Amino acid sequence: MSTPIIEASAITKTFPGRRGGQPFHALRNVSSKLFEGEILGLVGESGSGKTTLSRIMIGIETATTGEVSFQGRPVQSRADWKALRRDVQYVFQDPFTALCPTMRIGAALAEPLAIHRLCPASERPERVARMLEMIGLGPEMARRLPAQLSGGQRQRVSLARALMLEPRVLICDEIVSGLDVSVQAQVLALLVELQRKLGLSLIFISHDLRVIRYLCDRVQVMLLGQIVEEGPAAQVFDAPENDYTRALLAAIPDRDRLPVSESA
Amino acid sequence: MTTPLLTVQDLAVSFPGQSGPVRAVDGASFELNPGGRLVIAGESGSGKSLLCRSLLGIQPETATVSGKLEWKGQSLVSLSRDQWRPLRGASIAMIFQDPTAALNPLLSVGRQIIDAIRAHRRCPRDEARARAVEVLGMAGLPDPEHRLTNYPSELSGGMRQRVAIALALSAGPELIIADEATTNLDVSIQAQIVKLLRRLRLDLEVALIFVTHDLDLAAEVGGDLMVMYAGQPVEMGDVQAVLADPCHPYTRGLLRSAPTLRTTREVPLQPIPGQAPKPGSVGAGAPFRDRCPVAVEGVCALQRPGWSQAAPGHRVACHRFEKDGRAGLP
Repeated sequence: MSTPIIEASAITKTFPGRRGGQPFHALRNVSSKLFEGEILGLVGESGSGKTTLSRIMIGIETATTGEVSFQGRPVQSRADWKALRRDVQYVFQDPFTALCPTMRIGAALAEPLAIHRLCPASERPERVARMLEMIGLGPEMARRLPAQLSGGQRQRVSLARALMLEPRVLICDEIVSGLDVSVQAQVLALLVELQRKLGLSLIFISHDLRVIRYLCDRVQVMLLGQIVEEGPAAQVFDAPENDYTRALLAAIPDRDRLPVSESA
Repeated sequence: MTTPLLTVQDLAVSFPGQSGPVRAVDGASFELNPGGRLVIAGESGSGKSLLCRSLLGIQPETATVSGKLEWKGQSLVSLSRDQWRPLRGASIAMIFQDPTAALNPLLSVGRQIIDAIRAHRRCPRDEARARAVEVLGMAGLPDPEHRLTNYPSELSGGMRQRVAIALALSAGPELIIADEATTNLDVSIQAQIVKLLRRLRLDLEVALIFVTHDLDLAAEVGGDLMVMYAGQPVEMGDVQAVLADPCHPYTRGLLRSAPTLRTTREVPLQPIPGQAPKPGSVGAGAPFRDRCPVAVEGVCALQRPGWSQAAPGHRVACHRFEKDGRAGLP
């Protein structure tokens, strides 16, 4: 089997308790691998550790024990992390807080290019315009402020900003959770198209199993800081082995699983 | 024939705008019988929350409610604050989306429920306390006796929502309005809360209005469904019947853009293009016309569609359906 593009091995994360309280074990010996070109789904309810795991994989959070490797090499020094963050980008759940409210969209998209010195300043506007076109927004968007955009447009801009560095891996943390269903479908369609066009590898975090089923090739189900089940999406969804996975699937509202009996 | 609990006819909620009133809810009509249930479904900006608030008289102060709104035959449209008091909370109770914001963080759970009970009924503290324990138990909170001394911050989100439900039950209402009451909860908790609401409706014979953006969840709740778009109801009927045979282009689009546990990338979702109109920008004409793949030229832009019958008890407000029936639908 090929080397995973990014791998977290035996990660443990413990947050200290408040003033003499019990420490909180957010992750207990969790391992995760992402292979080239695949979409990996991390599913779990709040507090299961899925966000913490993904934040450790990009170095926003440090693991108590365990190791992150990128393309087969352990990530250790500051320089290692900076290199990783060029190739691995993170898209946050809330596009309202992820974008600076006083920065115009064009400037927000150009900033990563400046930070990583990817191209001369004179080329930036053109690259911003190309990116806006790719995510289905007009060039006039560059002059707008985040407050002038709808939630769906803002989430597209967050995606665009992550893609400016032409990353190989995208970590998407609940990026469609706050969106309306019709807009959610637009963003999911865009994500599928971009993934195919750019050959991205994706970690997609969601509590919504319906979205995970739609998008992901492989799934890891998390509960209380541990992975309780993992495998190809079809297998996990159609023949779940773990009791918690089964309970989670049974809790998803489903228009086809009815009619509801009056006796409730 | 039973007298309906709630009669809503051509209800509009409007705000003052630069060029005349802006109708954020327009043409809502439905009847709710004792013990009945209605699911109101729509996306953000569809007016579903505002409609619910107007049923309780808690719409923003700048809003004007017009049309017919009757509680057991009594008009609610221009009640004064004092006239609302015996109804609000006592006969009609509401459960909000965010239980953290709905509960006072500085008062214990018991104090809040006891206060609510005594606001509606003069009774000794002991009796109110016993009732508080009873409603917490009905809301499925384990060990209700001991929960009285807890503060909201000591409870999980699901527990807080159960406290909010207990609060809604405390004065023995005949109608409970749940406005996206499960949206912020984990799916397993959401399933528990929906089950609880269904059971309470049957046990206490209380009517339920359930507001959601999730049509699958609407199906789990059951009863009648009203789909709203841009402030207007566009399709109504039994929830099973509507989901099995959706007849409005918007309802159909919504169902095609919502993944289920069986949809995968091989059969791509079909997003509805464009975005929802701003409140008040719809004007005359069909509210969905700009995003509708089968808008009738020269008609949808000018005339608001009336109701057509799709099946007994199932109606739809769509020019295309009126003209071509199911054959014309996308």
